[in-house]
Amino acid sequence: MTMKKINYKIIILGVTLLSLFSCVDSLLDKKPISSFSAESFYRTQDQAKAGVFGIYNGLQSVMHTNFSTWGEGRADNVKIKHAGEPTFLHNNTLTADISSADWTSLYTLVSRANYAIANIPKVFPEGDPTGNQLIGQARALRALAYFYLVRVWGDVPLILEPYTQTGQDLFVSRDNSELVLNQIEEDLKFAAANCVDKFNNTNDRIMFNKGSANGLLTQVYMWRKKYSDAIATADLVLANPLYTLVPNIAAWGKMFSDSYSTESIFEVGYNDTQTNGLRVLYAIGSDARYSPSTRFMATFEPGDLRQSYIYDVTQAEPKAVWKYLGKGVSDQISTPSKQNIILIRLADIMMLKAEALNKAGGSANISNALKLLEPIRMRAGLTPALLTESQAIAMYGSVENAILHERSVELSFEGHRWFDLVRTGKAISTMQPINGLSDTRNLVWPIHISTINKNPNIVQNEFYR
Amino acid sequence: MNYFNLVKQKLVISFCLCIILSIGQAFTTGASAQAVQNITVSGKVVDGNNEPIMGVNVSVLGERRGVITDAMGLFTLQTGRDKTISFSCLGYKSRELPANQLTGGPVVLQEDASLLDELVVIGYGTKRKRDLTGSIASVSSKDIESTPIKDVLTAMQGRVAGVQIISSSGAPGSSMQIRVRGASSLNSGNSPLYVVDGIPIETTSSSLLNVDDEHGLSALSYLNPGDIESIEVLKDAASSSIYGSRAANGVVLITTKRGKEGRAKISLNSTFGVSNITRKLSVLNSRQWREFIIEGYKNYDQHMGLAKETAIHWTVVDSLNPVNSGDGDWQSLMYNTAYEKQIGLNISGGSKNMLYSVSTSYLDQEGIIRNSKYKRFTTRANTEFIATEHIKVGTNIAYTYSTNDRISAGGMGNRSMVVALLTRPPTYALNYPDGSYLGYLNGKRNPIALAEECLHLNTSHRVNANEYLEIKFTDWLKFKSSLSVDFEAMKEDEFFPTTVDYRVGYNTGAVRVAEYFTWANENYFTYNQSFGQHHVGGLLGFSQQEWKTDVTGLNGLSFVSDDIRTLNGAGTISGQEVNVAYGHSMASFFARGTYDYKGKYLFEANIRADGSSRFGKNNRFGYFPSASAAWRFSDEKWFRNLKFINDAKIRVSIGQTGNEAIDNYTAQGTFITGRNYLTNAGVAPNQMPNADLTWETTTQYNLGLDLSFFYGRLDFVFDAYIKNTSDLLYEVPMPNTTGFSSVINNVGEIQNKGLEFSITSRNFVNDFKWSTSFNISFNKNKVLSLPKEVLVNGYIQNGSFHILKEGEPVSTFFGYKYKGIYAYDTDNTNQLRHLTSTGKIFKGGDVIWEDIDKNGYIDQNDRTIIGNAQPLFVGGLSNDFSYKNFSLNVFMQFCYGNDIYNNVDYYRNSIFSYNNVSTEFYYNAWRNQGDVTNHPKVVRNDPMQNEARVQSRWVEDGSYLKIKTATLSYEVPKKIVDKINLQSLRLYITGSNLLTFTNYSGYDPDVNTLASGLRQGVDYGSYPQSRTFLFGLNIGF
Repeated sequence: MTMKKINYKIIILGVTLLSLFSCVDSLLDKKPISSFSAESFYRTQDQAKAGVFGIYNGLQSVMHTNFSTWGEGRADNVKIKHAGEPTFLHNNTLTADISSADWTSLYTLVSRANYAIANIPKVFPEGDPTGNQLIGQARALRALAYFYLVRVWGDVPLILEPYTQTGQDLFVSRDNSELVLNQIEEDLKFAAANCVDKFNNTNDRIMFNKGSANGLLTQVYMWRKKYSDAIATADLVLANPLYTLVPNIAAWGKMFSDSYSTESIFEVGYNDTQTNGLRVLYAIGSDARYSPSTRFMATFEPGDLRQSYIYDVTQAEPKAVWKYLGKGVSDQISTPSKQNIILIRLADIMMLKAEALNKAGGSANISNALKLLEPIRMRAGLTPALLTESQAIAMYGSVENAILHERSVELSFEGHRWFDLVRTGKAISTMQPINGLSDTRNLVWPIHISTINKNPNIVQNEFYR
Repeated sequence: MNYFNLVKQKLVISFCLCIILSIGQAFTTGASAQAVQNITVSGKVVDGNNEPIMGVNVSVLGERRGVITDAMGLFTLQTGRDKTISFSCLGYKSRELPANQLTGGPVVLQEDASLLDELVVIGYGTKRKRDLTGSIASVSSKDIESTPIKDVLTAMQGRVAGVQIISSSGAPGSSMQIRVRGASSLNSGNSPLYVVDGIPIETTSSSLLNVDDEHGLSALSYLNPGDIESIEVLKDAASSSIYGSRAANGVVLITTKRGKEGRAKISLNSTFGVSNITRKLSVLNSRQWREFIIEGYKNYDQHMGLAKETAIHWTVVDSLNPVNSGDGDWQSLMYNTAYEKQIGLNISGGSKNMLYSVSTSYLDQEGIIRNSKYKRFTTRANTEFIATEHIKVGTNIAYTYSTNDRISAGGMGNRSMVVALLTRPPTYALNYPDGSYLGYLNGKRNPIALAEECLHLNTSHRVNANEYLEIKFTDWLKFKSSLSVDFEAMKEDEFFPTTVDYRVGYNTGAVRVAEYFTWANENYFTYNQSFGQHHVGGLLGFSQQEWKTDVTGLNGLSFVSDDIRTLNGAGTISGQEVNVAYGHSMASFFARGTYDYKGKYLFEANIRADGSSRFGKNNRFGYFPSASAAWRFSDEKWFRNLKFINDAKIRVSIGQTGNEAIDNYTAQGTFITGRNYLTNAGVAPNQMPNADLTWETTTQYNLGLDLSFFYGRLDFVFDAYIKNTSDLLYEVPMPNTTGFSSVINNVGEIQNKGLEFSITSRNFVNDFKWSTSFNISFNKNKVLSLPKEVLVNGYIQNGSFHILKEGEPVSTFFGYKYKGIYAYDTDNTNQLRHLTSTGKIFKGGDVIWEDIDKNGYIDQNDRTIIGNAQPLFVGGLSNDFSYKNFSLNVFMQFCYGNDIYNNVDYYRNSIFSYNNVSTEFYYNAWRNQGDVTNHPKVVRNDPMQNEARVQSRWVEDGSYLKIKTATLSYEVPKKIVDKINLQSLRLYITGSNLLTFTNYSGYDPDVNTLASGLRQGVDYGSYPQSRTFLFGLNIGF
């Protein structure tokens, strides 16, 4: 072979190889196939919707068992037969390594919501109602997460932007809970203004619309003791045609076991494959975490029809809570539960409004408050359904106590009791005889040790230091 | 110019000699009738450098007569004109010359430095061993053939200095853990890169259903060891940096056999083997067990101060119930004698235009645990066509089909067998009276039923094909381009019938189908030219590779019956998240330059630029340079006088390599699907992007010395290295307020430094031959730095038993320090308490713990470093003896100074449910005040946690010396073989894992249950190793 020939061939080869090099960049740009990269998501309106469903998915994890652990575990309605976590809460021996002290799932939800809130505006024209209602849902969900955060831990870091790169400030400190609550209100006001009036299907029960945003706002106002604001938002809910009390006690039972009732304002949806911990919490052989406490069982007024839907009245020491899983449910199987977890319903809002009216004072307000209880008591078969102020005081010491008692029974095991006790300042007086709770600084949970280990700027709650 | 002429001359001379030789031979055969004419032959024997050789044996072929050369290399001798004279001398290649040619001229004997002239496979090429400047170790087909093996890694175990190979499991077809010069990554990516016939292959464990047993399948098991020509391990950066970002853990080059010109060689290899468990561990019989559990109950009641005795479970006291009245030896029921057979056929040969090697093999291997079985069928065709004077084309195609009936052996998963059967009460029945297996009883599954009735079948088809084109432009410039595909289709079926579950009517099944596809294209020019004594070489290339994986599968629950095991019979189907696809790609440029002067001063430099799709946009390309030099000082004039050293070379190298073993899309951040809300498909952020993410970089320094003594009778290779890995890829935990649990980042630094020696010695070389090879390597591993934000109390807790801490090696065990057992209550003079300042005071029969923080009670803060899984040194010793037709190879392997956390011992020495325990515990438990013993009081579910704490009592010395294999073989004499029309016939018998010298109390010290490279050295009940005897037959047709 002559040198010339060789040179010629080398050049051809060289050119061929060079053409290979030119595709290096496209070869190395590998986009995920079965997931999205940070760059490729939130590019379309469909993706925006998927992002919001992802937040609800986070809510499913948060509420799986914690709605009850946080809302009932430290209160007086439950009896425990389970070592570990339930015992620590019930005996008020909380430590920084119990799992309910871990807020990770809530901040995961917040992070998903922050991503949605920051990115949805990029795929919708400004002011687009569809975009705004999606943002509204995301903000309502974020508000819900923060509402639990402040109620359980007090001051918490308020994070409103998504984490998208390692350079951001990762080691945040705790913010004053009032600041967080202000943000919650702002988010919920936005949601109440921008969410849809109704979806016209079962989504009205499991996703945020105007009604559920106002419902949650009512709960927030009550926590903040902003009674007139609470009355105003409660009125919006009461006037909303989506919500009516279920008519009778049978329907009342089904409200929990079958979900999607007309009384429901917001519930977390579950199904056969997306299951929750209701069975572990309330009905699994002799191993359920909670059963009704003796004190709770003694508080029923005679003839209360709800009683036999809540637990097995034939047993002196019932092993299970029937509410949710259904009257007479077998507790011998370990299949997971699929009932929706109701966080807000009309009876709750009515009673909150009653509380607010009572706080506002004046005989008109008080009688209106007691009127709000009437349909609830009537459905439960109680007589008299309509209490007078003096009857209420005679029976429960005060109108407020009468309302709180009604809440305790009507909303039992739905995750309201502990927060009601804290909100109304009755936690210590109620729990001291049971577990010696005596320090207001003890009303919050400790911050989980892993949280502090990963971020030294997070200071433990004073009581637990 | 001079050099060229010299070469030409030499060529001409040797060519002429060849012709003369053959003519001479023709003469000798035809000369018998001629009259014998005596002549005087004389000459001077010299070496390649024209130096005289003294002591050369000059003899007349076929006669006993001979002389020896003098100090000037001269000889004189009378013989017949037609005779042939033979020249032989140790260290030189023997020569035969016709007598009539020897008229006083020089007779040149070439040095027999065959070992040094052997070609060694290097990255993108080959090199003579003598010219190496880096650190490369080889295992040749000879080493592999001497003992029958079933997979490639076994061939390397103990034979290569600097390479530690630990058996993860004794199950057939299971994976092994391999470390080249220590662990250098905090990530799981601590395995070397495997390159088969020049093509990097995919070796991530491909099993997708490893629920209870962490270990997967051996990724190299698709290779038939009979196909392997050689294995080279590139250890230092100078050798491996040509593979850039994948080379930080070393590179293993595997070359398969090709044909050689000549008539077809047909060989058949067949073995038959029998395996048994090496030892059984002592457990209690029924009577002892009942007694002991009752003792545990009583002590518990006493400890808790219970007025009322705790009711003893019926399984302990009721000896009349048929499910609970046996006295079984579960180990005997579970461990079988296992049989295996392997047969391989290879046909190779070639003509001027074509070379071929075609092989097929079949392996059928049972495991010693019931129902575990591995079958493998392989075929391979390596062919090469010499198309024109300048062009060669070739293909290597290999196909492997394997099925693996696996069982879940290791770990404490509730379907894991080894711990389960060691702790199973002897009283439990195997079967119900009707013959069906006893199912779940009192918290325990029936391990025999688990083995026999559950299905865990892995089926795989793998095709590995490679086509190449080689163009030789001139003698000094070549181009090679290759295109290869590696495709594996794997299916796994799993089924757990109702009989093994505690839930009535509960059965589960799963199926996984995975396709792994890789294509690679490599193109490179090689240049080699000599200018006088200056030799210059170069390499310039480009490669690209892409990986794609596609996984499909579902899980099923509540099947209609145990008889239908396909998912169509399932009541509930789940697992949509299993169905995913992902990919990864690389594009690289690489270059090498070499220069040497007279083979005396050698220099080499490499660089590779790697681009990977896995890394952040800002850091997509990495550059991995290396440089090395060697000096053959034995070629210096002043050295020549040292006659006993024939070759001596010193090598130095420095270079960088990388590690890119992270998930495919981590740097880009991930939004993950399947975060659904009821029927609405949802998506959520899952990984935060990290655009700066890049390689782990390993900088390695190597100093080597090669010495060859006594004309190649003794070879010595020494290497010392320091290997610093920085920018470690690590999942740095993030504050949970970010919504992410961690982010992969480049943090921290690890150092490995070590010494390696290997010695090959030919002790006897006559009729009785004896050769020895020995290697030993010392490696010291140390974590140099860790990110401060992830340290808690100054360390990272890494699983239950290990920590990562600056200044300590990875795989450091962390726990409580056991100092003995209190003989008397009063011995606890410090009034040490359990867990808190108000806890119970330790009494007689409780463990004496070291109170590290001296606060009077034993809690988490009293944990300290209690051991380390890194050995001080590892190595191997192989001895080959042969006499006439018999040969014997004995191979020993050793490991010294490592600790094993024997977690099986914890289960065997405590009563946490109604488990069986070791006889030592039964006999030696503390029972009365004053008992001096090493076993605490037996307390059921001991509230004082005498056993449950992670503690130094379960840390054992893992050192061992093993007779790994011994092979005795007999080569049937040529006379007999000829009679039966064969080329060759060899019979052999091999014993493997014959004998282990160790203080370790578990099944075998060559154990490592946990898959993570950072959690080495834990015995969690791995599938035990077996002792195997094999009978084999090699036939050449």
